[in-house]
Amino acid sequence: MAISDLELAHPVRRTGFRPRLREMLDRESFLGPLFISPALLLIALLVAYPFGMAIYLALSNAFIGRPSTFIGLRNFINLWDNDTFRQTFQNAFVFTGISVAFKLVLGVSLALLLNEALWFKRLIRGAVLLPWVIPTALSTLGWWWMFNSLYSVVNWTGIAMGLLDPPGPNWLGQKYYAMAAVVLVNIWRGLPFFAITILAGLVAIPKDLYEAAETDGAGAGRRFWYVTLPLLKPVLAIVVLFSTIFTFSEFNIVYVLTHGGPINATHLFATLSRQIGLESGRIGEGAAISLYLFPVLMFVVWAQLRFVRRQAN
Amino acid sequence: MRQSRRQFLATATTGLAGILATKIPPAIGQQREISYLCWANFAPASDKKLGEIGQRFTKDTGIKIRIDHIAAPQQAAKYASEVQTQAGHDLIEMRMHVPWLYEPQLIDLSDIVADLEKKYGKVIGSGYEAAHVKGVWRAVPQYHAVFVSAYREDLFKKAGLKAPQTWEDLYKVGIELKKMGNPIGIPISQNFDSISTGSAIMWCYGAKEVDTDGKTVKINAPQTVEVIEWYKKVYRDCMEAEVLSWSDASNNESLQQGKAGWIHNPVSAYIVARDQKLITADGINHHQSLSGPAGRHDTDAPRSIGIWKFSKNIEPAKEWIRYLLGKREVYDEYIMSGSAFNLPAYTKLQDHPVLKTDPKLAVLKGEGVNYHTYGWPAPASDKVQLITNSFILPNMLAKAVTGTSTKDSIAWAENEMKKIVAAG
Repeated sequence: MAISDLELAHPVRRTGFRPRLREMLDRESFLGPLFISPALLLIALLVAYPFGMAIYLALSNAFIGRPSTFIGLRNFINLWDNDTFRQTFQNAFVFTGISVAFKLVLGVSLALLLNEALWFKRLIRGAVLLPWVIPTALSTLGWWWMFNSLYSVVNWTGIAMGLLDPPGPNWLGQKYYAMAAVVLVNIWRGLPFFAITILAGLVAIPKDLYEAAETDGAGAGRRFWYVTLPLLKPVLAIVVLFSTIFTFSEFNIVYVLTHGGPINATHLFATLSRQIGLESGRIGEGAAISLYLFPVLMFVVWAQLRFVRRQAN
Repeated sequence: MRQSRRQFLATATTGLAGILATKIPPAIGQQREISYLCWANFAPASDKKLGEIGQRFTKDTGIKIRIDHIAAPQQAAKYASEVQTQAGHDLIEMRMHVPWLYEPQLIDLSDIVADLEKKYGKVIGSGYEAAHVKGVWRAVPQYHAVFVSAYREDLFKKAGLKAPQTWEDLYKVGIELKKMGNPIGIPISQNFDSISTGSAIMWCYGAKEVDTDGKTVKINAPQTVEVIEWYKKVYRDCMEAEVLSWSDASNNESLQQGKAGWIHNPVSAYIVARDQKLITADGINHHQSLSGPAGRHDTDAPRSIGIWKFSKNIEPAKEWIRYLLGKREVYDEYIMSGSAFNLPAYTKLQDHPVLKTDPKLAVLKGEGVNYHTYGWPAPASDKVQLITNSFILPNMLAKAVTGTSTKDSIAWAENEMKKIVAAG
């Protein structure tokens, strides 16, 4: 029988402040909430308050600096009549779908490579993280120069090598090229997150499973399909979940590269929300745009976490 | 006198409680300090000069001033966030009709404008439209930047081309320029230059976005069809697709780097080329703005200084405006530093010495005074500013030049504008 059980069975009454404080600190029901309360307070201040404000604004006709009234779900309904919003809705799914798919495939490939015994292993693993570490606005500015119509090093190189006809593609001015450009930069930026997280999953797979599979005559492909992939599934599910949420809410890349253009072809929820809510002053409508996908993402989170829990069981 | 830790804590706590209760800082902390938010000027020397004047202001008045500069595209969002949080700078520099948009948040500055008008004459028309809101000056006109035609005079001479007089002339010249590898550079993207040029062309062809009553959307008209057809042929025969991705600075850069042969812009492109000694500087010159079937119209971009109502330093902030604009020698010094990009916003100062500093700026004499702000002929209003901030005009043009039919492009713009005008 544990000592604490003994104490619970025969509580000793303590008098005075210090003994009583000590007694309270011994109680898990008091100590637990005490430890968790700073974190809860931070979440309440930094997450719950802005989120609550966003919901409040989304349900109102708020305009910057003017009094507002409650209008229920009218902002959400009216948005469907807006061409630009419908275009943004479509853009968000195209952008996220393509980016996450590429990041997943390339991330697994890169993790498998990094898992091999390479020379300068640590240096290479560190270098792979660079796109993830550099501030996005700064690195995207570099990409902007590379895609800029006047100074594009991509086009200059392509033309110099005879691969492109002058003046080369108008990366940021034509809708498909512009979408390709923002997707490419998102993949470049997000790939290290996939690779390093998947690498951590790979390292955790016991080597003897591979040895057993090899003894049974399984080649590299079969070992990957029947050993690596099933054991990586929970890690992949979590990585895909996080990446989907991050990619849907992407802002920096689009804002710096295209500002949502040309003709709104690359607007995402965050960039359109900024344009409508802050630049045009219709902050209620802007808040509604930013919250539009919240129910969908909640469902995605629920489904993914359920899947992970099942895998764990 | 040595103090124990306990004594120090007791004194400090009592003092802090007193300050918090009375909301009056101790005398030692009462140095007056103001903050001023402006854009990063396309004539960078004027930002440097503003900083110097700020230091002198502090020396002369004892009021500390912090001047922050942000890029023009970020101004709208920054103002909105300051208003929403009721915190930020004391003074803000505003372009076009922004004083209309934030009218309830800006203090009345009519007394300062009255003093300035006594000295310098009436505020020019565009400055009045932008900052005189419902009978009250919500901001003090500071300067204005006029749009003219900036072109590579050397290339024109080499090819035997004459400077165009009309937008139709420009199309003919543009065909030759593109063949030479020096296309026309008119942006058709989500930036202010696209609206400035688009508006000027609309006015020259007799088209308008909203009628003089400020309520009736008039963009769906035969004149707009003419404008779109002009844009389509110029995009196809005289420009490259790059204009769809341009920022406000791109047309300047294209002229400076030797690509564009003609752009529609204030003189900033030339000023930067000259000051940075770029090889194209000698070849760049300006000519008068262009005309169309409905006459010669162009865009003027007035800027004015306002003070937020939430500012706790209204009097020191007013003092700064009086110092910068009310002292003739300081105002002149500031205007001179902008090399005619920042022109004085008062009628008696229009023949300013800055126009004589460089023969290539001579074309500006008399230009701009009768130009218009965005939305003309509709009266200035917050709706006009919202139509501007929503980039409806450039998006309509971009749709049309990239394959959407003229009719559908106009119908889209009409619908978007109607929604803004109808909103309460």
